[in-house]
Amino acid sequence: MPLLEMRDICKSFSGVYANENVSFSADKGEIHALLGENGAGKTTLMNILFGLYQADSGEILWKGKPAEFASPREAIEAGIGMVQQHFSLVRNLTVLDNMILNYSGNRFFLDRKKERQKLLTLSERYGLEVHPDARIADLSVGERQRVEILKTLYREIELLILDEPTGVLTPQETSQFFRMLKDLKNEGYAIIIITHRMSEILEISDRVTVLRDGKKVAEHLTAETNADQLAHDMIGRDLHGLTYTEFGEKEGAPAAGESADKRDENRQPVLELKAITRRAGKHTHALRDISLCVHAGEILGVAGVEGNGQKELAEVITGLKQATSGELLLDGKEIGHASVRERYESGISYISDDRQSDSLIPDMNISDNLMLRDYASPPYADGLLIRRGAVKENAKDKMKEFEVRASGTQGAETKVRLLSGGNQQKLIIARELSDRSRLVVAAQPTRGLDIGATEFVRERLVRKKESGGAVLLISADLEEIFAISDRVAVLYDGRIMDILDRNELDIRRIGLLMGGVTKESV
Amino acid sequence: MMRTAETMQRVKDIILIAALTLLIAAVLVLACGASPAEAMQLFIQGIFRNRQSVAEIFVKACPLILTGVGCAVAFQAGFFNIGAEGQFYLGALVGTAVSLSLPLQGPVNILLALVCGFLAGGLLALIAALLKSTFNISEIIVTIMLNYIVINFLGYAVRTFLKDPEGNVPQSAKIDPASQLLPIITSTRFHAGILIAIIAALIMWFLMSRTTIGYELKAVGFNQRAAQVGGISVAKNIIRCAFLSGGLAGIAGVIEVIAIQKKLLEGISASCGYTAVLIALIAGNHPLGALIAALIYATVQVGTGSMQRQLGVPNAIVNILIGAVVLLILGRKLLHLETYGFLKRKKEAK
Repeated sequence: MPLLEMRDICKSFSGVYANENVSFSADKGEIHALLGENGAGKTTLMNILFGLYQADSGEILWKGKPAEFASPREAIEAGIGMVQQHFSLVRNLTVLDNMILNYSGNRFFLDRKKERQKLLTLSERYGLEVHPDARIADLSVGERQRVEILKTLYREIELLILDEPTGVLTPQETSQFFRMLKDLKNEGYAIIIITHRMSEILEISDRVTVLRDGKKVAEHLTAETNADQLAHDMIGRDLHGLTYTEFGEKEGAPAAGESADKRDENRQPVLELKAITRRAGKHTHALRDISLCVHAGEILGVAGVEGNGQKELAEVITGLKQATSGELLLDGKEIGHASVRERYESGISYISDDRQSDSLIPDMNISDNLMLRDYASPPYADGLLIRRGAVKENAKDKMKEFEVRASGTQGAETKVRLLSGGNQQKLIIARELSDRSRLVVAAQPTRGLDIGATEFVRERLVRKKESGGAVLLISADLEEIFAISDRVAVLYDGRIMDILDRNELDIRRIGLLMGGVTKESV
Repeated sequence: MMRTAETMQRVKDIILIAALTLLIAAVLVLACGASPAEAMQLFIQGIFRNRQSVAEIFVKACPLILTGVGCAVAFQAGFFNIGAEGQFYLGALVGTAVSLSLPLQGPVNILLALVCGFLAGGLLALIAALLKSTFNISEIIVTIMLNYIVINFLGYAVRTFLKDPEGNVPQSAKIDPASQLLPIITSTRFHAGILIAIIAALIMWFLMSRTTIGYELKAVGFNQRAAQVGGISVAKNIIRCAFLSGGLAGIAGVIEVIAIQKKLLEGISASCGYTAVLIALIAGNHPLGALIAALIYATVQVGTGSMQRQLGVPNAIVNILIGAVVLLILGRKLLHLETYGFLKRKKEAK
């Protein structure tokens, strides 16, 4: 009898399945890996188990008995612990205080001596060295993770769930972490590890379950599978049918597969990155020695699982963050020290993956948001004065051209927070894809959009390229990357693994690269 | 659709808040053993008794307009300047020092006093702005602390280097009559400073709604991150709004000295720097709204002044009412009874 069994779990969010008839089990003394792309439903499944969500249907058997966890507290009491991807530690408290905070029982008085002893015993037993009186803020990320794990072990659990645990660790910390996982496994703990890193799965797990689009597509014993097969399972669908002919033919663009040489002739580099490197910060990922080039009339797709440096790459190019070293050239000119404004004025525009927070001012109206980039120059401004007429005129034109629809009667005066996600994104596109822009950095430009809006956005990006612009398309959605990119770079752990031309695109290869497996290591 | 629904809600809120405020006022008046109807009558009479009483509204509103508009501009840009009180006092102090130490009297003296008061208030606020933009230290704490320092420094000044050498009380020498802002309407206290305040409010309204500076300030206030991503310098705008906001409070201090008190002494702000925060909140951070809110506040003050004299109802109820109004505005969602669960269920049951 397995320790845990989840049967036919279904969960949908506003009509879209996040999990569809997923079955999953875990045994004592086993490390079970859960593999899948972003949005495949891994975290949702585990959140259901941990009591953060309730399944729509299906059942959970815990030690053979039906169980339902209404909250994490109930799951923890039953013996299930979860370390979330983003740590939940109180930075200003000590390690010991974080433990106590997490579990003080129902007592009014604290017995620090006893709690300290308990912590020391635990950390000694599993070789999880931490100093009880160290402040969290002073610990490294690896140490914090140890504290997180200790925190769950402190609650006397039997099953430990880890969500992308190695994303923030250095290689040394990772191998140390793996040793510890093996110890825990030998102690009889059941461990579920959510990850997208193929090498780690092969190294550490006993069993792998692969999810894709909310469905379970495969379950293997790790010993009987390999990276190639896992990559195929994870990405699965054949994307070769989805070439950019979708838009290309309509627009009379060069068909897919056009010889690379012909394009080379009139290729002119717009953006060049030479050995761009950036150290990881407290909340940011590192960029390691990134060199790439985006040409005029080209869409360069950047594939990869999120959290591998995508945001940092976009922000280093747009000027929100500085590279530690390396060169950044726009049309051959070094722009590494230019401000955001200067870069915009020389032609870099940005469609951020977080439109509500980065690209829009939701409490301002449509026309004010449309001039966020150019408010200080004609036709919007005449010296210090804003020319309301021109602003309104522009808003009217752009709304019509880019099909921005505001419900209600206020038109361009509508507050942007009242717009739908699709219309908000169209607004950003309308602003950023001006004639002035030479290079568009588009990060997850269709996330959360319906099909119509998605097509609209992609078509606009293609049009930009056809009119001679360059587009850097950063997307976790491979389908999107394949649909409109001319070349595809794969980002993994802050590094460009490889850059492939569109006619040498191979879904398996991309899958392997996304999982951190290079040709040489296969 | 959206607009009408929102406007309707706003109108409902205003009526409800006004009614509740009147109710509280009536209860307070009753508790003093007076009749609310009589009190109301005296209140209105007090305001419109004669031209002096009407002019008095403007006299009382003048510092509130300047500090209130200043706070509104800062709040709109997301800079919570709670230091108008300190900025007012530093403006008053520097304005007095300039006015007294300049050899020449007259319009030039007045102008210089005003300019220096503006700079003094602005620079004081700048300390908080710099600490916020470089070290991300809360401007709320810094401005409040600066208030203590400046208020007590003023106490120090009027006992030492600014003390009137011919008197024994802690206050400065008198401002030369030629360098005072004199009444411009005869037999009232309506002085030229009031015009300065109203013009300042109009300029700030224009700046906020019609210029690129105002656009930047608002963008930073609404969504600092998006402003930054769009290429607007957040630090520059925090510094800018702090300087303007502190400067306006500084001018208010100078005007209070050279138009009303004619000398520097402790307690001359009558806490208008704190009331300014409330004025800005009531006005929804709109400069013209702050102008109107300050005038209303002053009107109520004049009216209750008459109530106090004739009925013995303490003037303090003004501040009780203002406090209540601000709370009602901030918590107005609590007034939307239809959002309460138990009422909703009842409705659905029907």
